[in-house]
Amino acid sequence: MDLTNIEVTQVVDTCGLSCPMPLLKTKKALKALKSGEILEVLGNDPGSKYDLPEWGDKGDNEFLGMVDVDDGATRYFIKKG
Amino acid sequence: MTSENFFSSVKEEARKNYIAIFEQDWPAWLAGIFLAVLALLIFLWDTPWGIAGGYRNWGDWFLYGVGVNSQKPFLPWQHPMSMSNFGIFAGALMSALMSRQFKIRRAPSLEYAKGIMGGVLMGCGAAFAGGCNVGGFYTATGMLSMGGIAMMMGLGAGAWIGLRYLLWEMENISMKPLVLKKKSAPFLGVNWDKVQPYIGAGLFIAVVVAFYLYSSIDKSTLGGILFFGFLIGLVMHRSRFCFVRAFRCPFMTGEADMVKVVAMSLMIYGMGSAVIKWAWIKDPMVGVYHPFFLGSLGGGLIFGVGMILAGGCASSTLWRIGEGHVKLVMTLMGFSLANALTQKFIAVYNLSEKIGKGVFMPDLFSWGMTIPLFIIFFLVWVFVAIWNEESEKFVIF
Repeated sequence: MDLTNIEVTQVVDTCGLSCPMPLLKTKKALKALKSGEILEVLGNDPGSKYDLPEWGDKGDNEFLGMVDVDDGATRYFIKKG
Repeated sequence: MTSENFFSSVKEEARKNYIAIFEQDWPAWLAGIFLAVLALLIFLWDTPWGIAGGYRNWGDWFLYGVGVNSQKPFLPWQHPMSMSNFGIFAGALMSALMSRQFKIRRAPSLEYAKGIMGGVLMGCGAAFAGGCNVGGFYTATGMLSMGGIAMMMGLGAGAWIGLRYLLWEMENISMKPLVLKKKSAPFLGVNWDKVQPYIGAGLFIAVVVAFYLYSSIDKSTLGGILFFGFLIGLVMHRSRFCFVRAFRCPFMTGEADMVKVVAMSLMIYGMGSAVIKWAWIKDPMVGVYHPFFLGSLGGGLIFGVGMILAGGCASSTLWRIGEGHVKLVMTLMGFSLANALTQKFIAVYNLSEKIGKGVFMPDLFSWGMTIPLFIIFFLVWVFVAIWNEESEKFVIF
């Protein structure tokens, strides 16, 4: 899947926040989405690289992938199930 | 095989192993085993592993410097827990450098405030509980001191309260995310990503040299503790080992992974120390002084709230500083000062007798019963956590 041109419904920016805030904010934002909509999470906590892919795939949700941005942050994409 | 081929295959093999060790994450269960083994080795080598005592030593120096304390504390490089803390920091820093992950990581100002507050609460709680999540919970339980179990209950309750606060904060306080700077031109003309592993290797050599220097002045014990701490820091950073998760995640995502790892690690630690203590290789009462149960329970509760606010306990604060998190440097300062001050408060008001005393599990249950009860207790914790993962009964968000 081409993640750079993906169409997302909402973006959550967690830059500067560390564990567990990025995961909490992701969980909150995902609750508000409808099934099939895509959430983008932007963050720079190294812990998120392990937390989000694992947690994002739990239940009906699907973790679509992640892309590093040149300022040290990473974009994560999760599709609500 | 020509020699050129031979060398290139050796090089390829080394590269693959380097990636496996320093770029891919270590599984948490492996870290749980390593940690229990290292903690047992520290116990055999000198005294049981702890962290807060080292923080207190640093806080005592501050109090001595500003004239609050008149007694001169131990020098940090002659204090065992301070030395193992240096080791953990150095190990995590080396690991971050080897995996090219070291970076000064800033945070929004509210996060800094939470870092300090969390540190103060943890320092205060650790003083009451006779140790932090390591000395007061992990090692205490491993040493078969009842205080460890009481602190565990407190930590769970504190994590629940702390998480409630985080949820409230998320709804009511809006925080501007940090604007990151674009990657700047190489600093001083050096590509730091390339240099990092060499600095990491240098750090490793420095720690080994330090051990031999300590050895040469008849202080092998201290040098050894530095080295064990170094290995702990490496293991913790590579696996992102976090005690907080064992207490927080069952309420947050329901995830039980860290509960399994901590329970398994404690079973190894506890059974290992049972062998050592039952056989009188070490005095059975070593490491059994935690104030059961008021001090451990109440201290655990305060500590539990603090570790959620800070986003790190005593051990993960150290390894996260090694990775470059500024917030946790503030946590460390708050922790050290609050711990030294609360300890003074407890001594001045003679509270230590009122909050409980060290209780040794085999004195309570006999040796024969302690081991099965210990195993059953942690298995029950794991099964409840797994059941919660499915049912989300305890998940509050």
